[in-house]
Amino acid sequence: MGTTVETTVRIPTPLRTLTGGADEVKGQGATVGAVIEDLEKRHPGVRDRLLDEKGVRRFVNIYVGDEDIRFLEGLGTELKGGEQISIVPAIAGG
Amino acid sequence: MTGLRRGPIVLVGAGGIGAPAAMALAAAGVRALRVADDDRVELSNLHRQILFGDADVGQPKLDAFAVALARRFPGTAVELHRGRALPASAPALVAGAAVVIDATDNFASRFLLADACALAGVPVVHAAAVRWSATVMAVAARGRPCYRCLFEDLPGEGAPDCVSAGVAGPVCGVAGALAADRALRLLAGDASASGAVVTFDGLRDALREVAVRARPGCPLCGEPRVVRDLDPRRYTANACHP
Repeated sequence: MGTTVETTVRIPTPLRTLTGGADEVKGQGATVGAVIEDLEKRHPGVRDRLLDEKGVRRFVNIYVGDEDIRFLEGLGTELKGGEQISIVPAIAGG
Repeated sequence: MTGLRRGPIVLVGAGGIGAPAAMALAAAGVRALRVADDDRVELSNLHRQILFGDADVGQPKLDAFAVALARRFPGTAVELHRGRALPASAPALVAGAAVVIDATDNFASRFLLADACALAGVPVVHAAAVRWSATVMAVAARGRPCYRCLFEDLPGEGAPDCVSAGVAGPVCGVAGALAADRALRLLAGDASASGAVVTFDGLRDALREVAVRARPGCPLCGEPRVVRDLDPRRYTANACHP
């Protein structure tokens, strides 16, 4: 039986309509991509807001700790558990 | 204000972020501002565009902005640039600037200013606010990382913009203050002002800074350098004003 890897995902305000207003949720998975799939089960629509057919949408940045996953292994970035995943979407109002 | 760079601070967008940024800069002793905008004051602006009052509704923002700023800060000269930043006008708008503050309300203008400032060798601070979120990123003159390292290109769809999302007034105030702070730090030669994106969560009063890494393949500051001019075709998606 595999070990459950749990991480904390910080949800930016534009996405909180999908998490019932929660600014932070727990996600399970051994990679960033697996965590997003896990979130999708409980918060449908999250995956589509973050990913397109090519991977992470170009106006979204996903960080594990302080590292942009584009400079790690992308959605395949492995998680040990206990990390914090942050999502920084582009916004344009002013 | 003694800075390492001379010239006016250029403020693109005389709105919710532009107003508090201008006030902070003028109060800090900035003597010359160049402000660009093409809008008129609307009633729905007043909760966040704090230089304007009821009597300004219907007036060109630039005129109301200049009058209100002069009343409080007569020692700050304000040069008005009527019109929005466009590929044809952006080079003149940022020319000679000590630093540019991008306080615009649409993605097309943000990418245009990122490109125009990089091509002109002018530092720029990008500040944005939507709903309860704000982000601020400063880029040094010819510096890396740049805005295109953070967000590669204009969103096609799905990103929150100023039409579909409202914005809380105080969040704009925070964004404007942060933008002014970063601009002054850039002017003072503080290298730590750039290279990160600051996010503010107005629902949790949480401020967070995350380092941004320069992308080797960035079309603006990486190799091969793709953006070498302001081709209008690059700046057409998701603009608030067609």
